Amino acid sequence: MLKTAFFTLLSLAIAIGGGGGSVWYALQAQSGVGAISIGQWTAFPEIGTQDADPYSKARVAREGVLALGKAEGLSFIAERDAAGDELQRQCDYRIEGSFPTARFWTLYAADQSLSVVDTGKPRLAALQSYQVLRQPDNSVIIAVGNRPAPGNWLLTEGFGRMYFVLTFYDTPIASSTGLSDVTLPRIVKAGCNA
Amino acid sequence: MRRLLHAILLGLLGAGIVHIVVLLLVPEFTERDAWSRLATASDLYKMTRLDAEAGGAPVVKSVDPLFYAAACRFDLAEGIVRIKAPGSVPFWSVSVYDRNGHNFYSFNDHTATDSKLDTVVLTPAQMIDVRRELPEDLQGAIFVEAPIEEGIFVIRAFVPDDSWKPVVSQFLEQSSCELQDY
Repeated sequence: MLKTAFFTLLSLAIAIGGGGGSVWYALQAQSGVGAISIGQWTAFPEIGTQDADPYSKARVAREGVLALGKAEGLSFIAERDAAGDELQRQCDYRIEGSFPTARFWTLYAADQSLSVVDTGKPRLAALQSYQVLRQPDNSVIIAVGNRPAPGNWLLTEGFGRMYFVLTFYDTPIASSTGLSDVTLPRIVKAGCNA
Repeated sequence: MRRLLHAILLGLLGAGIVHIVVLLLVPEFTERDAWSRLATASDLYKMTRLDAEAGGAPVVKSVDPLFYAAACRFDLAEGIVRIKAPGSVPFWSVSVYDRNGHNFYSFNDHTATDSKLDTVVLTPAQMIDVRRELPEDLQGAIFVEAPIEEGIFVIRAFVPDDSWKPVVSQFLEQSSCELQDY
């Protein structure tokens, strides 16, 4: 009798603990179903729509996200550089290359919660396309770091993991057919102040 | 031993079922979704700033730092809702979300006449009523047909640099979100 009760309890514990825990784990992970990767950049074009998968829907509900609509824009997130290392706030990077068609884009350095890095200065850790200097071939080179750099400079500060969030506004690539032949800039590590 | 194995297998099968059930129930029962966060911040038909600029922590996560945003909640069961914002800014875009935060309609200033934000959100049934006799002052508005009752309307406006901050702030502060007679 006692044995039966024990086995019943064991089954229930595995079911409830395992089921609940696995949902929690799946919702913590940054990558997931429905992601599109271009180079180091990842986007979730379906997130926040009715067509999204159940995991995206649960994440949207749990985190209170109001995702950009298709006519508004599309966000890409990078968490690694071209060599495959995680982005660090204490390191300098160079973001270089051409950007796809859009009315304008914004680029910012973000912390774990994807809000903008606090620089402690009036200068934001963000840039937008109207203020950048371009190369003769219309490509852009951006220096990222906590020391001023000539050309385009994205200020970052502090230690720990960092993400780059690149958002294109009013862009044809937000419709899924436009995403096939898009190239995004490369992220190259320039050095670290360890 | 066989019974232990049996119990574990049964538990794993149950875990699978619980996983699916919990996953599907999270959106129904969460109290941290955008609607609930906005509900604690302000009432229905009231434009609320989403960015941290207005003071306090941002209401809704992941707003572009070069953007200001405002949102209002509405309930179409009470009537049609009209959203207007005067003035012009470099770029604005709007989205309509349902109760669960799913985006189902969005457009930007290139869609609107003269880049003026003037839009009406209504259900298909209300659309038929309004069409029968279109009021004079609704003629220039963009109609968004939404098969929902409760929803969220979000305006996002671009702040290219610091000098635009007062203008863009004013654009959002003066935006209105109100029930409209028809």
